[in-house]
Amino acid sequence: MINDETTLNVMLETVARFVKERLIPIEEEVSETDHIPAEVVDEMRELGLFGLSIPEEYGGLGLTLEEEVNVVFELCHAAPVFRSVIGTNVGIGSLGIVFDGTEEQKHKYLPALASGELIASFCLTEPEAGSDAAALRATAVKDGDHYVLNGTKRFITNAPEAGLFTVFARTDPADKGARGVSAFVVDAGTPGLSLGKNERKMGQWGGHVCDVVFEDCRVPASALLGGKEGQGFKTAMKILDKSRTHIAAVCVGAAERVIQETLTYAMERKQFGKPIADFQLIQAMLADCKAEAYAARCMVVDTARKYDLKKNVSMEASCAKLFASEMVCRVADKGVQIHGGYGYTREYAVERFFRDMRLFRIFEGTSQIQQTIIAKNMIKNAS
Amino acid sequence: MKVLVCIKQVPDMESRFKLNAAGNWYDTADLAWRMNEYDEFAVEQAVLLKEKAPDTELVALSIGPERVKEAMKKALAMGIDRGVHVQDEASFEKDPYQIASVIAEYARNENFDLILTGMQSQDRGSAQVGILVGEMLGLPAVSTVVGFALDGQVVTAKRELEGGLKAVVKVGLPALFTCQLGLNTPRYPTLPNIMKAKKKELTAIPVATLLKDEALAVTEKVSYPEKRGSGLVLEGEIGELTTKLVALLKEKTSVFK
Repeated sequence: MINDETTLNVMLETVARFVKERLIPIEEEVSETDHIPAEVVDEMRELGLFGLSIPEEYGGLGLTLEEEVNVVFELCHAAPVFRSVIGTNVGIGSLGIVFDGTEEQKHKYLPALASGELIASFCLTEPEAGSDAAALRATAVKDGDHYVLNGTKRFITNAPEAGLFTVFARTDPADKGARGVSAFVVDAGTPGLSLGKNERKMGQWGGHVCDVVFEDCRVPASALLGGKEGQGFKTAMKILDKSRTHIAAVCVGAAERVIQETLTYAMERKQFGKPIADFQLIQAMLADCKAEAYAARCMVVDTARKYDLKKNVSMEASCAKLFASEMVCRVADKGVQIHGGYGYTREYAVERFFRDMRLFRIFEGTSQIQQTIIAKNMIKNAS
Repeated sequence: MKVLVCIKQVPDMESRFKLNAAGNWYDTADLAWRMNEYDEFAVEQAVLLKEKAPDTELVALSIGPERVKEAMKKALAMGIDRGVHVQDEASFEKDPYQIASVIAEYARNENFDLILTGMQSQDRGSAQVGILVGEMLGLPAVSTVVGFALDGQVVTAKRELEGGLKAVVKVGLPALFTCQLGLNTPRYPTLPNIMKAKKKELTAIPVATLLKDEALAVTEKVSYPEKRGSGLVLEGEIGELTTKLVALLKEKTSVFK
């Protein structure tokens, strides 16, 4: 749902200009140094990018999901690591509070998350609980008017920068499944909370991921998300329905960038006396990329529209995330292929995109988990 | 102080232009639209003035179809207080004289202290509208401004001349200035300000109520430049290349005659 097309178009123009003038020129430097300059993050704050999805009454822009994915398409024409900076505030890190937080939690955190003053992280995955998230082992034990958290969370995006963690832990040790899980909002710096070392990743350099470790970490009872135990897994699934659509949009934006880079190259690079774009085998690859990226864009927009109409989009969000993440890897692979030997060097952006894209088939639910969700929904709807 | 900023919406200059059916302008279908770059300098200059003197009132005016509201929203998001949209589906058929007369007609009784326009539009490029508005309102008009300082009721403006020269001009208000590249760096309208711009006043006026003059110069035809032959690239060893080049110069030019 687009509330005001004129307003959205002005936003898209602003984001496109920012991408072109400020982000694309420093992509390579960010990757080489594994660091996004602080002034660029400040500019992203000032532009309002951290508050895309946070309701207006808490200082965000309150965009609908259809509006948000349009902004994401545009933003992700730059290297995906820039999106990653705002990604947790717009998505998984803040949505738990937006959906299920108490009024007090919303007022305490959302304005600072919307402005980007506070960075949020999402602590669900554990060393032994990846795809099987409901099997998580972290515990939260009630002790008077506090909870005591213990456990290790793995691959936590933006954890080194985070001021706030949405943490999923088991409050009911008797229930080993989803119903025993609760969510907490924990401030960075709480005694007993520490960070592991930065993971050395395949791509998305400049974005940071590490373990978050809780050792007898005492948080006040008011840190229990929504003030209710046993709701954590439901909250996590609600978050993921929305954030998977967002990630699918990231894949579409990135695919469009790779296609544009590749098309430019194919039209300039000459072999056998003419531009390689004149050759039908190259054209076939270009056309496949375009068709797939377009299909994914349509899936993302359709899912976002249904979400905005308050329909259940669990299956559609998984379809979009599955298809878009697989698509962007195929597109990046063809991008490298069309660039030939140059595509295997760091001189060309496609080499970096090829590595960066691989993550999208893994995080926020692997492709196989998306397939499982889709099939379960199909069977459920038919029975 | 009351300031008028005139803005035009133009196509993104990276667009591929096609001619319209009448052959007198470009086809407007499938184009992405932007605020004329020179007008952005004018908007930025106005907003800078308001930052120094918050009681300044900034009004932006644009002539054109419904879509020009997008450029106006951008101006409002950059800091303009209110917008005036002169609705005109056929603004592209009007010559600079008519456009200027529409603006002048609007501005005549509004008592603006300062009018800012772009130096020219990126599409028509006549560089006439601003100067004509100044003339029609009996205001001093200063063109191609790259420096602007207001002190009381006097503006010290730096103008760009040909050959890299600059001139400094002192002008008492009310006056009109056309803004040139180099005057400032237009700010990004932030997303929160774009949302807030929705609540700012945007008045619509049908062009018929302001249009009093006939066109003086009608665009008859627009065409692409004639295609030139592509350059010739000689390949081979140096000695061989020299021979080829000399032969070509003898054959096709008169340099060896």
